[in-house]
Amino acid sequence: MDAPLIIGRGLCRYYRRGIETVRALDGVDVTIGAGESVAVVGPSGSGKTTLLNVLAGLDAPTGGDLWIGGRPVRGLSEGALTAIRRGFFGYVFQHFHLLPTLTVAENVVLPLLFLRRPLVPNELQRVLDAVGLADRAHHLPRELSGGQMQRVAIGRALIVRPRVLVADEPTGNLDSANAEAILSLFLDLVAREGLALLLSTHNRDLAARCTRILHLKDGRLWDPQAPVTKT
Amino acid sequence: MTWIRLAWNNLARRPVRTSLTAVGVGLATAVAVSLGGFNLGFRSAIARSIEQLGFQVMVMAKGCPYEAATLMLKGGTGLLYLPESAHEQIRTDPDIEAITPVFLGVAEKPAGGMDEELGAPAFALIAGIEPESYRTMKPWLRFQSGPGYDGGRWFSPESTDEAVMGFEAAQYEQRKVGDLLYLSVVPHGRSEPELHTFRIVGVLERTGSQDDGTVFLPLRTAQRIFGREGQLTIVGGTLRQFNAIRMREFEGRWMSIPEVQVVSLEQVKGALVSLVGTAQTMVAAVAVIAVIVAMIGVLNAILMSVYERTAEFGILKAIGAERRQIFRLVCLETLLLALSGAVGGSVVAVAGVRLTDAALRRLLNLGVSQPMVLITPRLLAVSILGAVALGLLAALWPAARAASLRPVEAIRGQE
Repeated sequence: MDAPLIIGRGLCRYYRRGIETVRALDGVDVTIGAGESVAVVGPSGSGKTTLLNVLAGLDAPTGGDLWIGGRPVRGLSEGALTAIRRGFFGYVFQHFHLLPTLTVAENVVLPLLFLRRPLVPNELQRVLDAVGLADRAHHLPRELSGGQMQRVAIGRALIVRPRVLVADEPTGNLDSANAEAILSLFLDLVAREGLALLLSTHNRDLAARCTRILHLKDGRLWDPQAPVTKT
Repeated sequence: MTWIRLAWNNLARRPVRTSLTAVGVGLATAVAVSLGGFNLGFRSAIARSIEQLGFQVMVMAKGCPYEAATLMLKGGTGLLYLPESAHEQIRTDPDIEAITPVFLGVAEKPAGGMDEELGAPAFALIAGIEPESYRTMKPWLRFQSGPGYDGGRWFSPESTDEAVMGFEAAQYEQRKVGDLLYLSVVPHGRSEPELHTFRIVGVLERTGSQDDGTVFLPLRTAQRIFGREGQLTIVGGTLRQFNAIRMREFEGRWMSIPEVQVVSLEQVKGALVSLVGTAQTMVAAVAVIAVIVAMIGVLNAILMSVYERTAEFGILKAIGAERRQIFRLVCLETLLLALSGAVGGSVVAVAGVRLTDAALRRLLNLGVSQPMVLITPRLLAVSILGAVALGLLAALWPAARAASLRPVEAIRGQE
């Protein structure tokens, strides 16, 4: 069996808000392996985005231990974290965040510029085919629907051939049909490319299609099947 | 996808802001290039104009020497005259190599002038000269040739009705060789003008000097019609050895004559350069203010762009951009902005060089006939590089701010 891609033990992320300490994550244990699709669900403010950011190396935990690709990240500088996550993660955000003056193709290949990687022949076509936008390569984002824009964002994440696809509320701005289609695309990529998928969502139906669901509440994981204990 | 394309696209997202900022940089560059061109051009323009007088020294009646020199350059007349005997005396000076007497006067043109159609009085600058010695001083003077101008020659010293016209004077009066020229002169001590008729025997080629606007008459004739027989305006000369020691000795010998003063044209050149230096300082101050305003404009535009794109920088970092890459991207955007403005401003400065020259000429009115603004490739290169360097300086803060953004906070901050 392959080694886990991400291991988190006792992960905490505390914020100071005035005199108050916000426990966005409070002792979370997570292990994610290749080929897994993991949905993080929970109410607003439960810490879903914080968990994704910490597991994806975008944010540093204030407590606990984290290994990404087998490398410990505790105490690393932002630069060192950047080096670890470059090419390892592909990110998809709720608001797409495409560059408006770049075409679909240019948005997709943008990360290669930062990674100083040349564009492998047919790689762009492969990605555009994968996200179903081969006929939209030269369109600008404003000429696309919401679902198409999210597909561009997924293509941008895929171009670096990541090990883990991180998607924070990727269907939050889409109607139900587009949301279904995007999730199907994610799951298809996981199956075909052997990626791990880590996504947060409010939509329990979509989450149910993933191989695993992490329930988060007040910064802690909980098991909805576990018997409720009255104190 | 290249860095330049990415940076250019980012600038293109705010076309109005980008254009206005580039225009600001362009204006500052245009001012800097024009000022630099003025700095380069005016010294040589003054030097060339004075060289075209053909003299190293001028002997004239006592008065303000710089006013006298400027009058000579601009083509005016001095109010003071020196006796013609001074010419004979100076001719014998051991340091003198060549010498020529000049009488200057202003005549009214009763007919034929272009301005007459508008009812405005027209005047002609008259120079009474001895052709032989005058030509020795100005060997570059040539007669125009072609239909209507062929056969041009100097008048004989004894002639009473022949004239030679400078290039612009002839163009202005629409005169050619063989035409008549009418001059109305009020002789000294009289109140009524007298009309004189001259036949044009030659029209000079353009020299770019005050000679272009002058009507030349034989010295004796000019003195006679102005009623100032035996008087001269200046005596111009060249020395066998022109250096400070020889000049001082020459001055010492002739300054002792009560009504005479000696002016070295090197002194005049120095005085004019220092006079213009004051104006240059003022214009330089304006240029510095323009550059500072342009820099603030660049800083403002780039800073606003960075603030607006906070989340975007977070995303770029999330998808793999390093701090230095973000820093470089913002600097590259600024470089393109400053470069486009600077190149545009330089083109405007080059295209408007005649306009700038005319404006400076009107402002300073030194009588310098040569172009006063000289824009060289080196000046353009220095100005463009300077604008780019200052633009990059203005970009340091916004670029550092963008580079230091933490991805999570940047994305969260604008969602």
